[in-house]
This record gives sequence, C-alpha cells and structure tokens, in this order.
Amino acid sequence: MALLSPYSKVPELNTATVLLVENEEELQNKLANAIVQHEKDFNVNVRLAKKLPLPVENKEARPRIDLIVFIVSLLSERSLQSAESSLSHLHSDCFLGKVCFLVTDARCGSHTQERLVSVRKLAASHHCPVICAEHRTADGVSAAALRLLNILQVSAGMTPMSTTALYLSTLTRCSLTSDLQEDYLQ
Amino acid sequence: MAGLSNLTGLVSEPSGEAESSVSSVSNRSLRLAEKEKKKGEADPFTAAAKYLSQFKAGTTVRGNDELERSILVVETVAVSKGLPPEVITVLLDLALSLNAGSPNCSRILKFLIPATVVPQEAIVKGVSWLCVGKMPMNAQVLFLRWVLTVFDLIDCKDDLRSIYGFIFSFVTEETLCPFICHLLYLLTTREHVHPYRVRKLLDIQAKMGRQPFLTQLLALYKVFRPDLVTLSLPSRARTGFKNHNSTWKVALSAVQRKNKGAVLVDQSLSVDVKEKPSSRKRKRHHLAVPPLSSAFDSNSSKKGLRLQELRSFKELLENIHNIELPAQMGSMLGSTLALHYLDCVQDESAFLRLNFWLGHSLQEEFLLCPVDGSSDNTSEACRFLNTILFSQQFLQEGFSSTESFLYKFLSVWDGSLLRPQILDLLSDIPLMPSFYMNKLLFEPLKQLYFTSTVFFKCSVIECLNSMLVKWLTWHSVSASEGSLDISLNSNSTMTMTLSGFMDSVMELVRFVGLLASEGLRLENCHVLLLNQTLAFYETVCDMFLKYSLPLIIMPPAGVFYPALFAIDSISLDRLGYIMYRYRMNLTLAKQQKQQREQTFHISRNAYKEFNRNLQTMVNSMWNSQWCIPGSDLEINKDLIALCKIAEPWCCFDIIHHPALFSYAIEFHQRCWPERKDVDLGSIKTGKYWNWYMEFLFNQGFDGLNNFIRTNTGHGPSSSSQDDRQPLSQNCH
Repeated sequence: MALLSPYSKVPELNTATVLLVENEEELQNKLANAIVQHEKDFNVNVRLAKKLPLPVENKEARPRIDLIVFIVSLLSERSLQSAESSLSHLHSDCFLGKVCFLVTDARCGSHTQERLVSVRKLAASHHCPVICAEHRTADGVSAAALRLLNILQVSAGMTPMSTTALYLSTLTRCSLTSDLQEDYLQ
Repeated sequence: MAGLSNLTGLVSEPSGEAESSVSSVSNRSLRLAEKEKKKGEADPFTAAAKYLSQFKAGTTVRGNDELERSILVVETVAVSKGLPPEVITVLLDLALSLNAGSPNCSRILKFLIPATVVPQEAIVKGVSWLCVGKMPMNAQVLFLRWVLTVFDLIDCKDDLRSIYGFIFSFVTEETLCPFICHLLYLLTTREHVHPYRVRKLLDIQAKMGRQPFLTQLLALYKVFRPDLVTLSLPSRARTGFKNHNSTWKVALSAVQRKNKGAVLVDQSLSVDVKEKPSSRKRKRHHLAVPPLSSAFDSNSSKKGLRLQELRSFKELLENIHNIELPAQMGSMLGSTLALHYLDCVQDESAFLRLNFWLGHSLQEEFLLCPVDGSSDNTSEACRFLNTILFSQQFLQEGFSSTESFLYKFLSVWDGSLLRPQILDLLSDIPLMPSFYMNKLLFEPLKQLYFTSTVFFKCSVIECLNSMLVKWLTWHSVSASEGSLDISLNSNSTMTMTLSGFMDSVMELVRFVGLLASEGLRLENCHVLLLNQTLAFYETVCDMFLKYSLPLIIMPPAGVFYPALFAIDSISLDRLGYIMYRYRMNLTLAKQQKQQREQTFHISRNAYKEFNRNLQTMVNSMWNSQWCIPGSDLEINKDLIALCKIAEPWCCFDIIHHPALFSYAIEFHQRCWPERKDVDLGSIKTGKYWNWYMEFLFNQGFDGLNNFIRTNTGHGPSSSSQDDRQPLSQNCH
C-alpha cells in the first residue's frame, strides 16, 4: 500500500500545495476559492479529495503535497470515521507538522461538543493542530483560509529563517482541556 | 275616569303606532342582526374564538366538525400572528379542563403562541386545573413547559406568587419536578422560603440524588435565608435548568419578529445618569434584553418603588432602601441607574439571578446554534456583547457567567468571529489559580495565536496586557487593606494568598513572553507586534513601584534583542524607557532591603539578568562593543570579517544604529553643510558630541534620554569634556 509521503518528490519553485480531504465535499470548494484568492507571495495549488488513499493514476503528475487538511463536520459521525480511516494512509513523516484538522459546526450544541472531544483526542495523539471554522459566512471561510495559509507557508518551507514545520507543530498542537473545566467551575 | 279613559285612549292609540314602530324597530334590528352575523362570518377567527369560549363540558368531541374547524382557524392565526390575551385564556381553559378531549389538549397547548402578553388569570386557572388532577401526565408536562416558555410574557406575577404553595406541592411528582423547580426558581422571593419547604426539598434530594434543578433551587433558597439552608452548595452555579422551549421556540420568535413594533410595552428607563444608550433588541427571544417591567402589581400592599420609575440619580439615593427589582434581571444590564443600585446593595440573589439569565442567554446564542444555519445575525450578537461589556466596565468587575462562557467559547472559536468583543470580555476575567490558568486560558489561546495573522497576535497581547493591568490594580486596591488572604471578587468565595497571586502573575508574564518571542520570530519582528510587546513590558517593569507588587521579571532574550536591534526608533526608545524603569525598581527594592523595611525577597537571578541586559545595551550603544566574548551575542571574528563592513564594532552605537542613523546624517549635514563625504566619526569629537546628544534628545526620545543619563552619567549638566569612555554603573 503506497503511503502518501511528504518527501518523496522535489518541490516546485515558489509553490506550495495543499490537499483538502473532506467526506461531504461541501466546504472544500468554497475554501479552495478563498485560499486561491488571498494575496500572498507564493503560488498555491489546492487539490481536493474525498478520502485517502489518492487514486494511483495521478501519482506521477501530482506535485509534492505540503499540507494535508482533514475537514471534519461535527454534525455527522461518518465524517470523523472517514478522516480516521484516511489517517492510516499517511506516511509517518507527514505528522511532523504537515497534517492539520479543520472542524465545522463546533458551536452547535452538546453532541457536537462530544465529537469535538474525539477529534481533539485523535489530533493530540498525532501531534496535529485543530482549527475551528465558521463555514456558513463568507468572512468565516475567508478567515479559515487565511489560517490555513499561515500554516501552509511554514510547512512548505517558505520561512526558513523563522521556523520549521516541526517546530510550529510543537506550538500549535492540540491538547485536551475538558476535565479541568468541570473542576474549576464547581 | 275621564283621565283613565283618556289614558286608555292614549294607550290604545299609540299601541297601534307602537306596533308599527315596534315592527319597524324589529325590522331594523333584524337587519342589523343580519349585518352583524355577516360580519361575524366574514371574520372566522372571532367566530371560532366565540364558539370555543362557549364550548360546554359534555359536548361530543368525536366527529364534531364545528369544533375541528374552529380549532384549525385559531391554529392558523396563532402560528402566523399570535393570539390575543383573551383568546389565550379561553383556549387554555378549554384545553386543560379536558372539555375538548385530551388529544386536543396537547394539540392546543402546542400552538398556543401569544401575540402580546399572557394574562396571569389564565395561568392561575391552569394551575387549578392541574390541581384537579385529571390531566394525563404528558399534558401536565407540556403545560408546565409552556408556562416556562412564555414566562417573560406574563403581564404580572403577583397572583402566581400568592399560589406559590400550590405550585410547590407538585414538587413531589418525579416527572414534574424539574419543571416545577424551574418555575419556583423564577417566582421565589424571600417570604416564600420556609423551613418545611427546605426540608421537603432535601428529602426529595435524598431520594432523587443531587439533581441540578434541585441544587439550583436550594442555592436560591440559601441566598435568601442562609440560616435555613446549611448544606454546602457549589459557589459557582452553572446553568442547572435545561431549556424547555423547543416546541414553541421557532414559532414564537417568528411571531415576535413580525410584531416587533407592537409587542412589548416599552417601560424602559428613559434617563440614565450618563446618557448611555440602552439597547433594546427584540428580534430574538433569547437575545432580547427585556425592558424593565414591574415586579409587582400596582394593587399590591407593598409600597415599594419600582426600578423603572426612577428618573434620576437623586431619586435612586432617596429611595434606595425601598426599591423592587424587576422581574427580568437581564433588563438591568443596559441602564446605569440599575447597575448603580446593584453595585451598592450587593444583593446576592440579584447577582445569582442575573448570572443565571446571562449564562443562559450566552449559551443559547453562541454555543447552541441551530443546525440549519438560520442564526447568522452577528450585528445583534455584537450589540448584546457590547451591552455586557458596558455593564462589566461600569461595575469594574466581570460576571462569573461570562467567565465560564468564555472558557467554553475559546475552545470552539475560530479567531475572527466578534473578535474585538470577545477579546475585551477576556480581559475582564478575574484572577484564578495558576494551575487552572494554563489549561483553561493559555492552551486555547496558544492554539489560536500561532495559526493566526499578525494583527490577531497584536490583539491578543494587548488583551493580556489589559488583563494584567486589571489584576495589578485590583491587588493594589485590596492589598492596602493589609491582609494576606484576599477574596477574589465580591461574588466568589475563593480566596487567594499573596504568593498564589504572585504565582498567577508570573505565569501570565511568562506566557506572554513565550507568545511574544515566538511570535516575533514567526512574523519577522513585525513592528506592530514589537510595539505591543514593549507596551506589555512597560506594565511589567513598574510592578513594584506602581502597584507595590514585589516581582521583577525581565523580558526574555527573544524580546530584548529584537528591540535592541530594531529598525524603528520608537521601539528603541521604549526599550530605553523600560530598562530605565527596571533600574528604578531594582534600586528601590535594594534600598528597602538594606534598610530592612521589607519582607519580600528579590532573587539574585533577577539582578543578574538585569545586569546582563544592561551591559549588553550600554556596550553596544555607548561603547561600540556589541560582540563580547562570553555574552549572549558572540559571533566568530572571521565570520564578521566576511561581511566586509569597515568598523563592524560601531554598527549599533548611537550614531550608526539603523534606527538612529537618519538623525546622525541630518546632524552631520547641519554641522558641515559643505562636506561632500559623510564621515560620521567626526561627530564623536569634542563639543560636537554633546551637541549631537542634545539634538537627538530634542527629537523626543525621552526613554533613551533617561536610560543614557542614569547609566552612563552623561547628561545635559555634564561638562564638555570628552566622554568617550564613560563608566557604566551596574546594579550589584
């Protein structure tokens, strides 16, 4: 089984590639448009997929992927399961700062909160950041795109003087905080 | 006789006429009656309402088309426009008496949407039907849920309060208990708390376990009569009551949106002391800061003055012992008179109720968004948060419900939704033990900070600066009372010692140091971020002198060096000011220690760090030696030679520093306008040096001026001797 690896290909000049993986295929397009429309110093390629593994046919033509974003909708259980199963198709090198989770509908009540806890557990065990996004408004999508661009810039190696992807992941990695809230607020 | 006969004659004559007139009258009345009937038929709603009001017990329900039609008509009107109060009374009576059958009872309750107000007699009658005990259990539950949903719209609650005992008797029913507790919570006043009621609640708690609704009601009882309720209850009451209005919520908000001009009678406080506009939001049921309405009927025997009748601060002062709180606590948020009263009287029950309402509304609006995405109205949410901010800033302390809400919200925030309001609310958070601070506040902020833009980073540092200032101010005010055990704020029973407070402050400063140094590196020493960071350290450096907190914390290397080698002069000036203030603070601390006045201890490390930074700064700016072997900045000589700059040692002194370079050139041109080659070294000779220093500090670099003056002895009063090798005075 061919795993997706971040270092198997040579990068292109001044270009970064991000892969958006979403089971529902709703937010992907809007987010891709927002990412491409933002002003930045380097070229961005956005590739969309429903799940991993990616089709074998495109393997040669595909550029090196710098950031893999799993879009999880907290309203459906399938979304999380699909993301979880796709994780096993990634080479372990990817988890050095090149994977990130984007969740939507985090503010919709208690059952989404429970799913959010599961997503956080998953992300914490893989040392990945979790970003919450407001996908219903244009401003929210634009803000999410900007955050992804910030992470992409680092993981594509565009800022060698500042930091590396691995170091940024130590600063942004997810942690679990839920239990203490109950204690303190009693 | 004649008169009689005349009379009869008289009588007989007009009878003929009377008959005709009667007949004409009767014809006319017939015509009118027909017209009325036609009008009634033309308005099906009134006809239906009339029919339903006259529906007698015992009339057949099954197959009764007239009944079915009437209910349908009323239902359509209810869902579209809402029902007037009289119709609500009629319908409630009909439903709960089970005259129309029990399936119709639930059906009617489900569409009972009021247009304006709900008369309290209807509710009282409803409770009496509840007491009869014939209703099926789900109908009873539905009725209670309905009462809770429309509670805000009940015009007056006096009668309900007088039947408190009857309502209380239902507490023993297990299914009804949560709803009854919620209703009692909304109706309880001090007179209602009696020992037998407390005992009953405790018995039920023993049977059912520690249910949140029971705990909440007991907490309220405890606030009114702490002598009667002796068990320990959690000091921060969470939202113990569930939301029961799901059946009616959508329809109710739709109706209110439609009727928004005419819905609630405006009894708002029209004159505030400070003329701040009070916001009235009516579109959404749960976001509406309701207008102040009276808590008691005007016929009641109590002679209290209602809060909304006050027109000026003077009136408030005159009547302060005699004020009644409004029924809806949330309405106090927008008006300064109400907040003044709340602050002075320090009524715990008022705070409890206000926090409950606030927590509930915040949760409804931000954490329980409907799934279909119909809640995107950020301008209203913005105004609501602005009202809360205004109240918090007026009272100069935060509400505990805002605090718990913020911790939950931070973990689901995307960093851009309502950013200014959320960060302002965050800065109002009161002090907390350092252990919790990390998990609840710092972790979510860190995850947001490092993936966001530089402007978000600046906003976060500004917010944390403001939080630190508030904590320090609170400490300097409460510590003047001389005790070591300080309670956090008036509403919390948590206490904290001085060392605990210092721990928390140290955690906060350490965290901001981390954010700042990593952030500056990520953003390539962005000038705005650097300035916000230096503003934070301007607060930190004066903690001892300004706020009498014996804590000296130096900025980390990741902040100090970017500031020292900054390209803009403002940062450099601010750094000079900060180092100057550190020196003042350390000198005073040392003096007090020598005179044995103080009991605290500043660690040697603090002095060492300061000395090291001071030496670096003075060496690089004054002595032209920024690369000293053994210091933090040590670069191999050969590497430096590779850059091919003549005199690399002078690169960061006062003349050649990138930030001050332009001033040196300007000075040079003024002194030697005829020279073509710029030789900045010539500024260093003789009187030109003093003139240059004067010129530089007239540009407004006060911080740098103070720094140079105190650390190198060079000042405006010194002689014109060559000061090229000044002695730098360290703190030992």
